[in-house]
Amino acid sequence: MSDVDFAPPAQSTPPAAEPARRSLGSRIVSVGPLPAALLLLVLVGTATTSGFATVDNIRAILTAASITGIVAVCMTFLTLSGNFVSLGVQQNTVLAAILFLSLTAAGAPLVLAVGGPLVVLVVIAVVQGVVVARGMNTVITTLAVGAILFGAMSSVTGGQVITTGGRSVGVLGQSLLFGVPVVVYGLVVVTAVAWLIATRTSLGRRCLLLGASRPTAVLSGVSITRTTVFAFVVLAVGATIAGVLTAAQLGQATANDLSTLTIDVVAAVLVGGTAMAGGSGSPVRSAAGALLIALLNNLMVLNGFTTGWRLAVQGALVVVVVLAVQRFSRAAR
Amino acid sequence: MTMKTEETVLSLQGITKAYGSVHALTDATFELRAGEVMALLGENGAGKSTMVKVLSGLVQPDSGTIQIAGEQRELRSSADAQAAGIAVVQQEYSAVPALTVAENLALGDRTRSWWWSRRTLHAGAREVLDRVGLDHVGPDRVVATLSVAETQLLELARILLRDARILILDEPTAALSDREIARILAVMRDLAVEGRSIVYVTHRLDEVFRLADRATILKDGRSRPPVPVADLTHDSIVSLMLGRRLASMFPDRTPVDDAAQPRVEVRGLRAVGLTAPVDLAIRPGEIVGLTGQLGSGASSLVRALAGTLPVAEGEVLLDGVPVDLRGRSRGIRQRIAYCSDDRKKDGMFPGLPVLANLSSPWLAAVSRGSWIDRRREKEKAADIARAFSFDTRRLTTEIDTLSGGNQQKIVLGRWAGAEPRLFLIEEPTRGVDVGARAEIYTKLRMLADQGASIVVCSSDSTEILGLCDTVLSFYRGRVTRQAAHSDWNEESLMAATLHEGRERAA
Repeated sequence: MSDVDFAPPAQSTPPAAEPARRSLGSRIVSVGPLPAALLLLVLVGTATTSGFATVDNIRAILTAASITGIVAVCMTFLTLSGNFVSLGVQQNTVLAAILFLSLTAAGAPLVLAVGGPLVVLVVIAVVQGVVVARGMNTVITTLAVGAILFGAMSSVTGGQVITTGGRSVGVLGQSLLFGVPVVVYGLVVVTAVAWLIATRTSLGRRCLLLGASRPTAVLSGVSITRTTVFAFVVLAVGATIAGVLTAAQLGQATANDLSTLTIDVVAAVLVGGTAMAGGSGSPVRSAAGALLIALLNNLMVLNGFTTGWRLAVQGALVVVVVLAVQRFSRAAR
Repeated sequence: MTMKTEETVLSLQGITKAYGSVHALTDATFELRAGEVMALLGENGAGKSTMVKVLSGLVQPDSGTIQIAGEQRELRSSADAQAAGIAVVQQEYSAVPALTVAENLALGDRTRSWWWSRRTLHAGAREVLDRVGLDHVGPDRVVATLSVAETQLLELARILLRDARILILDEPTAALSDREIARILAVMRDLAVEGRSIVYVTHRLDEVFRLADRATILKDGRSRPPVPVADLTHDSIVSLMLGRRLASMFPDRTPVDDAAQPRVEVRGLRAVGLTAPVDLAIRPGEIVGLTGQLGSGASSLVRALAGTLPVAEGEVLLDGVPVDLRGRSRGIRQRIAYCSDDRKKDGMFPGLPVLANLSSPWLAAVSRGSWIDRRREKEKAADIARAFSFDTRRLTTEIDTLSGGNQQKIVLGRWAGAEPRLFLIEEPTRGVDVGARAEIYTKLRMLADQGASIVVCSSDSTEILGLCDTVLSFYRGRVTRQAAHSDWNEESLMAATLHEGRERAA
């Protein structure tokens, strides 16, 4: 026998909970890369671009961020639940705008003019949700539905501009309320409600669970159909609000409006840091993502970038941010 | 046992590695002599896997030195480790299913030129396949057609081709049968006799005694000096791993009230995998064990009761009321809980905190309408965590960062919160260390004492005999014997699951 000590070892102290040393990159991510990027853009804009830090321009940025933001915030649930993104965002939003204007022109009261498009978009969302829950790919489904909607709208309107026919849309038509663009209130309210749904309700939690692990969610009693339909319905509500607000502000719409909305919304969600595969993210982040995209676009417009270059830079930004988030969140583990 | 020189081929000194605030290894030491088999032992979470990763270059220690053949080395990648003569057989099979045996053998071999033909690929493959007992497998076989055991042996063959001096095997026998294990152990012995050094990581202590020369035991990330296996006993290893003597793995049984109304009545149930109808009555507080080989029908019965396998005929009553067995959601509403045998696949939500994992099955119970009462959610989760001896301060950590034992406690514990009337569990302690295992058994007995009926489907005969009140053995889709635990022993259980010579008797 050797001199093996069989006595229980001295009670070792539990591992100290000292914070681990972390790289600069992971520190920035823990603060949030978004506030850092937003701050950076504001500073750069103020320093280099005349006409950036003016009241009018700030209103313009906020207005641009709001429409994208409302839809992006509402699409977060779809992405969170592991269903990627909808590529039919623009068509749904424009449909809401056209229905709102037509109903208003026909003399419908405001409640009906808003409720009508809402019901139509929710029905379309339920159909998409059921189809996707049955195993159809989200991207294909939403792309197809978007094409059908666009085709139908183009045929019915015949490429005509739809207007309110001179009727008033009340407070929605005002551009400013207490000095702040009306659409900004829309974004704030939608973001707050979406945040509550995501963090405080079982509906939001189920989206997160489904995105984190589909097989576990199923064995835990989470209904794929109900959760997916819910995510699509939230997006429909967002598209309706965005469509109605746009239409009320401009007083007119065509089937070709908001041509970059889909790409803007997808970019806002991804730049915000919601995981493409689902299971991690937040609607608040998507709102910040929309603000970032609007800021960047505004700076580029003021500096004379063409539409083509603006889109190219925006695309590059999505790639860089998604790569950076992946890289640093891995390092932070 | 083997020819050993006292020459140290590998030496790790003062290795420390932390993941965030969790110290996986603290000032750990490890040494390996030429031609010896060193068992690396410890509970889950003791630091074994991290040690293996350090040795294979997958993880860089925060501090400490590594010496190989007396020379200080840095292992910054698996290529470094391979260059230093270290080869690893991983727990998870790294073979590419779509490629052939010979192609897999060539994968990752940096000595090969990038230009290859079928002939150069096959050169040497035959010999090495024979050596690991794959003499019936041709180099042209596609790996997807191999069994799990054959794939594992192929991994071993791949290492042999590397001509590595130091081999690391991380639980190579976890999925293997006794005969296949014997083959692996024999190959290991041969390799040691040739003068190679082997690090053998396992949970199975009998393999340690059959194979290893010395053992290094890790506990809480700290190492003990290596001990000759001849000086160890089964009990002393367990007490070194746990730091205390394990009084008894299994909790005392509470007598089941024979007069009680059955909680569950299974009548003439048939489903895919069950060739003969099953009849079974389970009383409240009873733990029923189902056992049998793969495909025996034991697991089919559990899945049919869980609602994940369609029922062909028969009915099930729960407290006298017929159960709707279509789908998991309906089962959950009737308070039937189910844990599968694969917690990584469908037992946990990776990336989410322990809290969200725990509350997932009983979210409705702490919600008003759809509104989650977060205070009640936290309180209930903390209650479960305490009941399962899980540190409540770690409720906010992501479940992936926990050890296997702690993960399993969460995966089982989350169903305890749903107050199941019937709790179905497949392989409750797979990949779980001895300490957590005993805790899990205690909690399951506690749940039963609170009135739940529990069905455990397990391939671990010790578990079946030690934990359960009633045991059913399965063979080829039907029940071969049903009896109280006291009427069973290891031999009769083995005989019933293999159905030795009793084809006609039943």
